[in-house]
Amino acid sequence: MRNFILFIRRFFNLILFITLEIVCLVLIARTHAVQGVDLISSSNSMVGALYQKQNEVVYYFELKRMNDSLLNENKKLQERIVGQQQWERVKDTIVNRGFRASDTSVTLTYANFIYRTARVINNEVSNTDNYITINRGSADGIKKNMAVISGAGAVGKVVSVSKHFASVISVLSEKQPISAKLHDGTFGPVVWEIGKPDVLIMKDVSQEVKIRRGDSVTTTNFSFFPENILIGRVFKVELIKKNSMQRIYLHTAVNFRNLQYVYVVENTFLQEKMDLEEANK
Amino acid sequence: MGTIIKNFIRFFIIVAVQVLILNKISLRWWSQPYGFPIFIPYIYPLFILLLPFEVPVAGLLVIGFITGLSIDAFMNTPGIHAFATVLLAYLRTNVLNALLPKHLSDYKAQAPSVKNMNWTPFLTYAAFLIVIHHTAYFVIELWSMQNVGYLILKIIASTITTLLLIISYVMLFTKQQSR
Repeated sequence: MRNFILFIRRFFNLILFITLEIVCLVLIARTHAVQGVDLISSSNSMVGALYQKQNEVVYYFELKRMNDSLLNENKKLQERIVGQQQWERVKDTIVNRGFRASDTSVTLTYANFIYRTARVINNEVSNTDNYITINRGSADGIKKNMAVISGAGAVGKVVSVSKHFASVISVLSEKQPISAKLHDGTFGPVVWEIGKPDVLIMKDVSQEVKIRRGDSVTTTNFSFFPENILIGRVFKVELIKKNSMQRIYLHTAVNFRNLQYVYVVENTFLQEKMDLEEANK
Repeated sequence: MGTIIKNFIRFFIIVAVQVLILNKISLRWWSQPYGFPIFIPYIYPLFILLLPFEVPVAGLLVIGFITGLSIDAFMNTPGIHAFATVLLAYLRTNVLNALLPKHLSDYKAQAPSVKNMNWTPFLTYAAFLIVIHHTAYFVIELWSMQNVGYLILKIIASTITTLLLIISYVMLFTKQQSR
């Protein structure tokens, strides 16, 4: 016993060092799965409050750029409305009866989306996994696994929530691939090319698919995102000789460097869908 | 008593500067769009480097752990900064012993600085520990040896930036001796 105590006294520093490093490694290992971020993350209330304060200061300087992005988004929505109206008119003339849109189009509502706005109070692009902190939390109805989009395109997914803040893992993350599809419906995962905050890669697309530069890549409806949200645009297509597959490089639709406002999208059927899929496994 | 309060204040200032200003800067050397990694300049290891000589190793380890964790909380990287900082705190005493002419206990009520160490030993001390800190941090963050070149570039660029920040801190906050 005496020897043991002497041993501890002699190597106390080394033992303390190893213990602390093991604690750190446990923390790192816990967060390797996306679910474990809760414990130490920017959604905790003190960190969130500090970021909020900081954001209030820099907020003013970004107003001009934000106005532009809002205008662009408005324009896009207006165009969509105009397109919709014309389409309805065409349908009416074909049928040649006074139908309303709701009579003619048979839409199956299998997903119901609720949009909530949120402001980005912290944002990073330089790590291997990048997180965004937003100023909405469980008090505003934000839950885990909700999709986050901006006016321009897909942003990420909520991973941890406190009362007034939430952490979002962005598309620019190694451990968060997203399900994407090309214009002709070919789908596959899109991952981030580490270190380049505006480049995403879609691997292993078969050679038959014809892809041109500027083609848009959008979300599918079998991930947590709503369908047809723009992820990015193709800027380079590469043929991999080894397995004769194509690798597509995308520019992200969202500029992650000046993200200001985002929408948190709740899919009211997501839980049911996930439960069902879980039951099959 | 004065040194404790001084270090306490320094802790808050350095963490605040790191979190509120430097974390928002994603540096990218040469503005060519691709090819060079982007990184954040780090200055918080400086706090551990400037702690007084008398702090025992156990104390250094605990302080390093707390500092690392508080940075982690802001950066959403639980454990990674803490791991690197604890490693830095553990090696600090050995590096100082190797660089200083006298034994550490001979320096009463002093902290590592340019004044009692001179520029070259101080910069060696800072550079050595920061290379180790950054290597540990980026290896764990990237956690793959697929692109070693990218990793090494990131470590080198980040180290140089941190050292520049440290030099400017030292130049700003060292009292000039009156001639």
